[in-house]
Amino acid sequence: MKQLSLMIDLSRCIGCKTCIVACQNFHGLVDYEAALPNEIPFYLRVESKREGVYPEISVNSWVVPCQHCKNAPCIKACKSDAITKDPHTGIVRINKEKCSGEKDCIEACPYNVIQFNKQENYAHKCDLCFDLIHAGGTPVCVETCMTDAISFGEKSLLRQQAQDEGKEILKKMSAQSILYVQNQQV
Amino acid sequence: MKKNGWIPTVCYQCKAECAIMVRVEDGCIKEIRGNPKGRGKACVKGMAGISLEYNKDRLTQPLKRTGKRGEGKFEPISWDEALDIITDKLKALKDRGEAHKLTASFFPHSITDPKWRFLNAYGGFINTALPHCDSAKIVACIKTMGGVPNHHLPPAWYTVPKDGIMILAGRHAFGGLDDASVPLHILDAKARGAKLVVLDPIFTADAAKADWWIPINPAGDTAFFLGMINHIITNDLYNKKFVENWVREGDFDKLKDYIEDKTPEAMSKICDVPAADIRKLADECAKAPSVGVDSFKGIMLGQALDFGHAWNIFLAVTGNIDNPGGQPLPDLTPMSPVEPVPAGPDLHELGWHRTGKDKDTFSHYSFIMEPTWYQAQAIKNGDLKVLINSEANPALTEMGQKEWSDAVCMTGDNDEYKLELLVSYEIMLSETSKYADLVLPDKSYFERWELLYMPWFYNFETGILLRQPVVEAPGECRHSNNVFIELGKRLVPEYFSFKDDVEYYDIQLAGLGLSVKKLQDMGGLWSTRAMGFKKYEQSGGFGTPSGKLHLYWEDLEGANQAMPRPGLAPEYEVEIDKYPFILISYRTIFHSGAGQWTLNNPQLRDKVSGFFDNPLLINEAAAAKLNIKDGETITITSRTGQVKCKAKLTERIRPDCVGLAHGFGSTVGTTATMGEGVNDNILIPDAGSTLNWQDVVGGESHVSTRVRIEK
Repeated sequence: MKQLSLMIDLSRCIGCKTCIVACQNFHGLVDYEAALPNEIPFYLRVESKREGVYPEISVNSWVVPCQHCKNAPCIKACKSDAITKDPHTGIVRINKEKCSGEKDCIEACPYNVIQFNKQENYAHKCDLCFDLIHAGGTPVCVETCMTDAISFGEKSLLRQQAQDEGKEILKKMSAQSILYVQNQQV
Repeated sequence: MKKNGWIPTVCYQCKAECAIMVRVEDGCIKEIRGNPKGRGKACVKGMAGISLEYNKDRLTQPLKRTGKRGEGKFEPISWDEALDIITDKLKALKDRGEAHKLTASFFPHSITDPKWRFLNAYGGFINTALPHCDSAKIVACIKTMGGVPNHHLPPAWYTVPKDGIMILAGRHAFGGLDDASVPLHILDAKARGAKLVVLDPIFTADAAKADWWIPINPAGDTAFFLGMINHIITNDLYNKKFVENWVREGDFDKLKDYIEDKTPEAMSKICDVPAADIRKLADECAKAPSVGVDSFKGIMLGQALDFGHAWNIFLAVTGNIDNPGGQPLPDLTPMSPVEPVPAGPDLHELGWHRTGKDKDTFSHYSFIMEPTWYQAQAIKNGDLKVLINSEANPALTEMGQKEWSDAVCMTGDNDEYKLELLVSYEIMLSETSKYADLVLPDKSYFERWELLYMPWFYNFETGILLRQPVVEAPGECRHSNNVFIELGKRLVPEYFSFKDDVEYYDIQLAGLGLSVKKLQDMGGLWSTRAMGFKKYEQSGGFGTPSGKLHLYWEDLEGANQAMPRPGLAPEYEVEIDKYPFILISYRTIFHSGAGQWTLNNPQLRDKVSGFFDNPLLINEAAAAKLNIKDGETITITSRTGQVKCKAKLTERIRPDCVGLAHGFGSTVGTTATMGEGVNDNILIPDAGSTLNWQDVVGGESHVSTRVRIEK
């Protein structure tokens, strides 16, 4: 299997959203002079879950990028064949030139991660910083994470790393190509 | 000047001032990172600095007020006109012997910030956010250790050994107010086997990662620490060698007598933490190789001087001072003085006290940078005639801000404003600028030179960071530092013989064999790289008069504070029936609290990438008793004000507390005015009007206020 991936450690994510803003900047998603809150595109979002009631509670946070699905519904939904799963990396990419702006992919995506550019009529999303990683870099979310909660690499190796470090892989959350892990619960 | 590539400089989205790299393309900022040669991290506010730089609300020319103060009506004027108005007024003030009635309110980025030099040379006062900040912590550290750890001196978390204990007492360390690397270092220490304990009425992001969250009541922190001290001493668990060698003779005996009745059981009643938990943490701390405590001014209710005292005693009896994992006592960077060094106004000689007519009541307390802490009160007393404001937003973020705006608009017998001139430097128009006679367009931190070397180990080490212009400023913006230097040349030229800010910094750097140019070429950082541990052994003692730690403060015997008082802050117990909840003004990592920098920033207000508005956090069980549903509009009433906002039900807060994020409710700014944000300061009494509560506890209870909640 060739699959590049992110491993997101819930024991380290503090939900600070630094990665979201760094990603927006790198991918040129913000028109800084015109931007208004709640209208800015994003390739990542933070989710969190509380368990228990006061005072016995716990809260976990994590980020949700494109999951680069094994059998991506967005690829099937797109009538323009604009979306592909790159055979060399497993990265699901949208070809902006081919995109006809039908938004079928947005409807089909179970993770709600696809953005739409109204002005230029195309869908766009996380591509694991495709150009950057081919030049030896790491995805911007990985580079900028305040707590080093996100790792980048081949999925098989990330899984091995998690096991070596005694991390628990959260199987339900890791159904596609992104791995979610946490410290073993004592 | 159009630069390209990654340029090292220093962030100023908040007071932490982290070393960053900025990627510039054709004179435009594209990206920001933590500087890997510094601590390597930047937070979400830092990343969103680009939205500040290119904000459409940037102010680009000087403005002069045309309407009344508060109306926000202006006309453009030239810099020459603006500077002439200020010069004439300051000259007249000095000529009539009232130079000390000038206050400049700003954040001193360095010990010799040019603005501060001007004030010292001219004879005016500095006002910072200290009273509602960490003044009491600083004073407690000076009294006990002779050092000045402030809130930028948390334990160096990367020095915490395996099995060390990290205590955050009402301190949101993951909130990005210290260096952005702090959360990483805390989590790394945890991964090494250190333990994180969070004392906080709110289940913060820090609490979510803690090994142990202790939901203490606000202001219970002094009692909690006294209970631990009692347990440690009574059970002979204290660090005997350290106490014998480094505590002033007689102080430990006085402490033993004092804490005899401060048992965990007795203190439990005050702090609402089970006695067994106080004992458990005390045991663990006594056995741990290190204990580091980070706090701000104590938990929430600001019993700050007592808490700072108890905190210092705790560190002393456990021997956690200037050791890896404990409280660092870093040295100052050895910079060269710029001669002649202005002395500054002598408060004593002037017979001046920050509480004006109340000085006989409050003369026990001597804090630092204290003269016009209470601007509203100083204006009313006739002690503040010219106010120059920069990098602050008192009209929105001063507690009891209505008192501030009323005082600023107050007129005397001749119908003239009692505050004769109000000048505000602004990057974008703010709430405060509405009241200003002159609004001056400041440069952003991407557009100016600044030499940073406060004793804040986390950011600068024992060293220096260079903030340098990476892009050109828009319009006619001028950095306030250079405007103050210009005013210095006009009014006190003997202290301002250097050409500009860069030459001023060159003089300070000379003793280290550096210059601004050389520092720039080196990458903008210089450090000794050694923070040093147990330096008191080398230097023969601490900076106190005796060279030992002073656990007993004889100068405060008259105020009944020679030893820390465990009781709750006065407000905690007043009119509980009428105002059953304690309102906690809390901070998030997304907003710095000072106003427009972050609150008028679209990325930081976006619901996905930031924090949009501030519904009231209320515990689900407490809300159920009041039949309040999630998202419902409720009214919050305090003794001094009332606001309406939405309720957000949560399990993440004590049932007797409610939480409101600070800094919202602006009426100025395209983004700042969006959403349903409300201003917590409407609910908080003005500091100067409640001196009998607030001043005696060594700060202000601005972060907690008694309120009632109604549908």
